[in-house]
Amino acid sequence: MKKLANNLVAWLDIRTGFRDVLREALYERVPGGARWRYVWGSTLVVAFVTQLITGIFLWMAYSPSTQTAWESVFFIQHEMEGGWLLRGIHHFMAQAMIVLLAIHFVQVVWDGAYRAPRELNFILGLVLMLIVLGLSLTGYLLPWDQKGYWATNVGTELASQAPLAGGAIRKLVVGGTSYGHHTLTRFFALHAGVLPGALIAFLALHLYLFRRHGLTVKDPKAGPDAMFWPDQMLKDSVAALGVLAAVVGLTVYYGGAELTAPADPANNYAAARPEWYFLFLFQFLKWFKGEAEVWGAFIIPGMITGGLFLMPWIGRYKVGHFFNVVFLFFLLGGAAFLTAQAIHDDTMAGTAEATFEDLKRDGLADTPKNMQAFVASHDFLKAKADAHHDAERVIAIAKSEHGIPPTGALTLVYNDPYLQGPQLFKKNCAVCHNFVDSENLDRRLADLVNKKPTAPNLYGVGSRRWIAAILDPEQIVGPDYFGYPGSPFVGAGDSTDMVDFVERCFSEELKPVDRQKIEVAMQKIAVALSAEAQLPSQRAADVSDQQTIAEGRALMQGGLAELIESGESCTDCHMFDQGQDVGSADLYDGTPILDGYMSRQWLIDFIRNPADQRFYGDNNDRMPAFAPHADVRLNRLDDKSLGLIVDWLRGDWYQPDP
Amino acid sequence: MADCEQPADDSADDSAGDSERNRRSFFAILAGGLTLLAPLGAGICAFLSPLFRRVRSPMVRVALLSQVPADGKPHSFPVVTDWRDAWNHYPQKKIGAVYLIRQPGGELPIAFTAKCPHAGCAIGYSAADEKFKCPCHTSVFNIDGSRARGDQEVAPRGMDALEVTLNSLEPEVEGGDPVTEILVKFIDYQTGHIQKKPIA
Repeated sequence: MKKLANNLVAWLDIRTGFRDVLREALYERVPGGARWRYVWGSTLVVAFVTQLITGIFLWMAYSPSTQTAWESVFFIQHEMEGGWLLRGIHHFMAQAMIVLLAIHFVQVVWDGAYRAPRELNFILGLVLMLIVLGLSLTGYLLPWDQKGYWATNVGTELASQAPLAGGAIRKLVVGGTSYGHHTLTRFFALHAGVLPGALIAFLALHLYLFRRHGLTVKDPKAGPDAMFWPDQMLKDSVAALGVLAAVVGLTVYYGGAELTAPADPANNYAAARPEWYFLFLFQFLKWFKGEAEVWGAFIIPGMITGGLFLMPWIGRYKVGHFFNVVFLFFLLGGAAFLTAQAIHDDTMAGTAEATFEDLKRDGLADTPKNMQAFVASHDFLKAKADAHHDAERVIAIAKSEHGIPPTGALTLVYNDPYLQGPQLFKKNCAVCHNFVDSENLDRRLADLVNKKPTAPNLYGVGSRRWIAAILDPEQIVGPDYFGYPGSPFVGAGDSTDMVDFVERCFSEELKPVDRQKIEVAMQKIAVALSAEAQLPSQRAADVSDQQTIAEGRALMQGGLAELIESGESCTDCHMFDQGQDVGSADLYDGTPILDGYMSRQWLIDFIRNPADQRFYGDNNDRMPAFAPHADVRLNRLDDKSLGLIVDWLRGDWYQPDP
Repeated sequence: MADCEQPADDSADDSAGDSERNRRSFFAILAGGLTLLAPLGAGICAFLSPLFRRVRSPMVRVALLSQVPADGKPHSFPVVTDWRDAWNHYPQKKIGAVYLIRQPGGELPIAFTAKCPHAGCAIGYSAADEKFKCPCHTSVFNIDGSRARGDQEVAPRGMDALEVTLNSLEPEVEGGDPVTEILVKFIDYQTGHIQKKPIA
């Protein structure tokens, strides 16, 4: 068996000469013996190979288009076995590469390893570094999520400011006049084809020249010479394993790479930041006022990069080498400082829940500048938390049996009442209405709190609790229901019939026994009327409380009159359960119909035109008709937005199983 | 081995042989070059195609006049229009956002694009201190779009105002009040310059 193997190796060697190649590759002399300080270049090669391997497997599952990029990354991350690990390794190894590059670079400059005859190899190294940075930039966009989209948008916008050909460069990079399919296809071709191809070519030259000139040895007499194989190779492998362990550790710790909400060109993402290793450039831009921006974005970074290419020639003299080392540490120190400053600017508020009180407690609320910085940081953290929240929501729907439609995950975002409702409500309703759960404050809905409402609080609208409050003499005149400032329903208003009626029902002369009877009756009415809403949250209760509902309906239609002194019930004023018999509709003009009260269709029709005969008629003194016209162009709200608002108010959206 | 395959002795060549060889070298390079250039040229041609695309700046209906209260405050509206992205046509796609401001007593609103003139981030409005703020590089603008700190601002110019026109629509019901819609010319402006220049 062994003989067969030997024969095979010999046969191959005669025909290929591979033994010589191997010997050449492995038996490099390491003067002074193998050392840990020589491992950094090798770890970079291993890191790159890791990116090639993980990248090719990611490629097998990735699809670059605006309707499939986020979607395919979602699938890799959440549906494919081990996908999160694959993507996580690719993501964190890219960051490790930046760190390793910095170490390798510092070491080369520190050791003066760029001196003749190694100038060209130093330049090849710089080219490789730029290629790696290019890979990072292009890779950031590929998931097509809010984070990558908006950060890259700033990058290409800056590219358009490049002197001379900026506009053309942006168009070529973006693949058109604005972001779209061809932005992704181009970024992907660069990321997975052009740049790795160039990297392999330059890496081959880099390694060839490295071998040609050998290691730069500080102290050849440190120990006996050793061979690359196996002595240095062992150290290199251990170091590479260490890097991989760190990367896998980070991946597991963070549960893989983040995927924020799908890119939405129309939804301002107020937390657009580049990847951490570009933060210093981001922060640097804040220093340049007005048109000086071009200095911060191009001229100074360009000159610094150009200066790096000159290092081998500057370093020919002792003082020049000293200058190079000082310059490099100045650059790294500056970058570290700017990075820290950027992170501090963004996170000084601490959390998205922080308030000015926290700032005062920390003794920082003394200057307007601090206040502004606090607000900016707070907005950043809030935008980030919201994006995280939105991402969780979209991912939850995508993972459900609903899946993602062919039009992409953005459709899920646009069609989800849970995500769209608050925005639409804020824009159209919150000027007058409040929306706040007094028992459970939700930070995300804090925007919707109206401190001076001029209309009822719509939280839980149509629920048993909400309707019971309207039938309660104390709550109905509260600010959450009919007692808001300027209400026509109370005091000297024009439409006090309802409040008067509820107060009559609970007149103070009532004996406690009778009072209790009326309270029970009102509870039954609340259950019956709330059943008209067909709220998803009460579906089970509506089924199990059939008996109470029937009793409540009977009370509404005259039963109540027998209990109270004034002999009235709901149907004396409101239309309810009269089938086709609407001949007497005039009688009810100005009081809302109770059939289907607060159901989806009832609410849609009501918001369309509250002054309709079925609703408040001429009594409507304040609420605009949002969609009264058949011609949609004339309406303030389109049908889709109307449906989303109503579904959101009614809590009618997909809810994943807990 | 290699020695045996040396071509015939160079010194024996006359000048005619030299020119013959030069000609062959020339055609070898020409043929090889052309073979490579044709696919490369076609590729570069296709690659450059975005340069021939022009930005469309559509007049877009963004709101009804009745939706913008005359309170002198900015109100944000999405820009929704038919949109083409390479091979896809999107009917009524949200492509951006504008702020509309109507002065008390005034009719015609002014419109600002939400795109920051510094680096293109989307500007937000902070009602607390009545300022527009860009979340990226700290640009702040007054409610009239001018830069809050003048030349100390990183943004090279104030927010970009967009052309606004009003259009009266007749309601389908006879005798109904006419409805006015607000149209905005949604232009994408270059960032980073003092002058306001549309992206071509």
